[in-house]
Amino acid sequence: MAAEISAMEKNMKRRARKRNLVAYSFIAPNFIGFAVFTLGPIVLALLLSFAEWDGSNAMKFVGLQNFINIFGDDRFLASLKNTVVYSLFTVPVTLAMALGLAILLNQKIKGKEFFRTVAFFPYVASLVAVAAVWNMLFTPAKGGIVNQLLMNVFHASPLKWAASSSTVMLTIIMFSVWKNMGYYMVIYLAGLQGISEELYEAAGLDGANAWQKFINITLPQLKPTTFFVTIMLTINCFKVYDIVYMLAGGSNGVVNKSAMVLVYYIYEEAFRNWKLGQASASALVLFAIVLVVTLIQFRGEKNYAND
Amino acid sequence: MKKRILSSLLAMTMVVASITACGSAAEPAPAAEPAKTDAPAQEAPAEPAAEPAKEEEAPAEAPADEPVNLKWALWDVSSTVYYQPLIDAYTAAHPNVSVEMVDLGSTDYSTVLGTQLSGSGSDFDVVTIKDVPGYVSLVNKGVLEPLNDRIAADGVDLSLYNGVTDQVTIDGNLYELPFRSDIWVLFYNKDIFDAAGVAYPTNDMTWDEYDKLARSVTDTTAGSEIYGSHYHTWRSTIQLDGILDGKNTIVDGNYEFTKPYYEMVLAQQKDGVCMDYATLKTQGLHYSAAFAQGNVATMNMGSWFIATLIQKIKDGEYTDCTNWGIVKYPHADGVEAGSTLSTITALAVPTSAPNKDVAWDFVKFVSGAEGAEVMASTGNIPAMTNDKIVDLIAGMDGFPTDDASKEALVTSHTYLEMPANDKSSEIETVLNEQHDLIMNEEVSVDDGIAAMNEGVQAILAQ
Repeated sequence: MAAEISAMEKNMKRRARKRNLVAYSFIAPNFIGFAVFTLGPIVLALLLSFAEWDGSNAMKFVGLQNFINIFGDDRFLASLKNTVVYSLFTVPVTLAMALGLAILLNQKIKGKEFFRTVAFFPYVASLVAVAAVWNMLFTPAKGGIVNQLLMNVFHASPLKWAASSSTVMLTIIMFSVWKNMGYYMVIYLAGLQGISEELYEAAGLDGANAWQKFINITLPQLKPTTFFVTIMLTINCFKVYDIVYMLAGGSNGVVNKSAMVLVYYIYEEAFRNWKLGQASASALVLFAIVLVVTLIQFRGEKNYAND
Repeated sequence: MKKRILSSLLAMTMVVASITACGSAAEPAPAAEPAKTDAPAQEAPAEPAAEPAKEEEAPAEAPADEPVNLKWALWDVSSTVYYQPLIDAYTAAHPNVSVEMVDLGSTDYSTVLGTQLSGSGSDFDVVTIKDVPGYVSLVNKGVLEPLNDRIAADGVDLSLYNGVTDQVTIDGNLYELPFRSDIWVLFYNKDIFDAAGVAYPTNDMTWDEYDKLARSVTDTTAGSEIYGSHYHTWRSTIQLDGILDGKNTIVDGNYEFTKPYYEMVLAQQKDGVCMDYATLKTQGLHYSAAFAQGNVATMNMGSWFIATLIQKIKDGEYTDCTNWGIVKYPHADGVEAGSTLSTITALAVPTSAPNKDVAWDFVKFVSGAEGAEVMASTGNIPAMTNDKIVDLIAGMDGFPTDDASKEALVTSHTYLEMPANDKSSEIETVLNEQHDLIMNEEVSVDDGIAAMNEGVQAILAQ
């Protein structure tokens, strides 16, 4: 009897193992790819951040020296500051614009498909092309369209936009909001369409006005969407590189301290100066920041999911 | 159960990853170590001792008729016009030698070459050296053969390279011979000078004369502007004008010498003589497009632009600058005309080369007089110049026919845009940033120079 049970157990275990192996074989291609191309480099970067390496000569362990170096480098500190400033402004503004657009284009208005396409277009347009157009509109010359507008309509003095250290971040943030709000608008639209009409009808019967409906129905119902959008936006903001390079790099590719962001600093240290250790250390700092921000957001999500 | 498998799998990949990571890190070490020992000049006597041993392995080294196959590392085989003619010219004289081209791609050529030569598996006989920083890093790795003894033995005349070889001599040793060299000249649009009734630029102008000339053809009327000068956004167009008197270099850590040039260009910018840096930068206007607009009277630029101009005018793409010419770079007071900036492309023999003697013979040929003629006939400026070479380039269809343009190709002394220095890329970062700030008029010239001095001196002190 007991022997029979153990034999059955063994049989079941064998079958379970077989099932598991089949399952693992299905995820293996993906996982092996991940391990070789993502996990490996991540682990290597972790090791490199404590070492000095130029990519060819022998690697030298230097402890925390890389971190001491980068925190003593004013270019790193400037890039850290710029990244934080960029994220602090871009995330809420993009969020608000995307939500506003989504609500507007969720109404029963004529040609809403057309306007949705208009709002989404900047997101699909090639960055290089739209950045070039943007730089033409916001050219520092007095003859530029935006500067003409400033001078003739608002009677303000012309700005140098991306060419001046005081307005370059403003230009980059405006561009980024304009380029990305369409994408997040689409996500919000999906969220809006998931809200049951009955809720609004019930509120209408109770005499709620549009603002009350928005505050008490739309916003709470959109919480999961907002959570997702905030996280994606924040992570994307910390990863920003291409926009900065295209707008501020210009024809000679020189991004100075006023516009340099973390990822650009990492690129420059790693592939221009061949200081792979220092670049890895900066990447680790970037990773830590994104991790902390995301953890805080998850904590927040838990809290408001409970009420 | 599942979890255990997953975690053990994860642990395994981590172990594997760290092993491969360590492997790739440790690999270059043994290769670099022994190589490093023959880098110092003192080891030179050991070289000939190593030679005979090599010859025993490969008896084909003797100029016999035994077939030898050279492997040549280079980039952009399909779009570069001079590789095959060079090979053809060499193999015509040495029928027993064949040359195999190995294209490593242009974008990360120096990195790929460095990695290939670090391992023990490379069998390149000849490698092309793309730029000076790449050269320095290969020399530091100890993978290039010092050429001094061979140069002395074969009586190669280095003076024909206009002093460039001195600037890539590291600790008394030369590891490459340049075969292509681009020099900086002043391009000008003859139509603008004709219309303004001003005499053309000459081959012997000081910077003051150049400034006056540029201003004399400038027209700031809105809508029909004529710019007397044009400076592309690179720092080299302004900063490096200061090193042409031979008293300073760009890696010294003291940049006071750039001041007069910044002041000249900023004044021109203010007076509308040249286009505004901020606009040029943000609009990303390419220098060729600027010159092609036909409202730029003069522009300082490298000789690589000659081939572009000839081609685009031939194709009918450029119609407003068809009447162009070149003159020598302007010079500082009391300095001989014809001093200019240059960039070089060179050949070297790796320490691991299987056929060193034949490889050296090929390098000597390509960078020497015969190779120079082949280069010139394809419209490229060889590193070694003489009258015949100048005749060949100036005789090309589409090259300006005036004597001054031909004369402009003759240099008296050339200075590398970036001399051999370990810290060149970090120095460049500091210089680029301050150049940007000065040209945007965000900092004064004095403050910008002070920041350059401070930043570069800190890098040099490391």
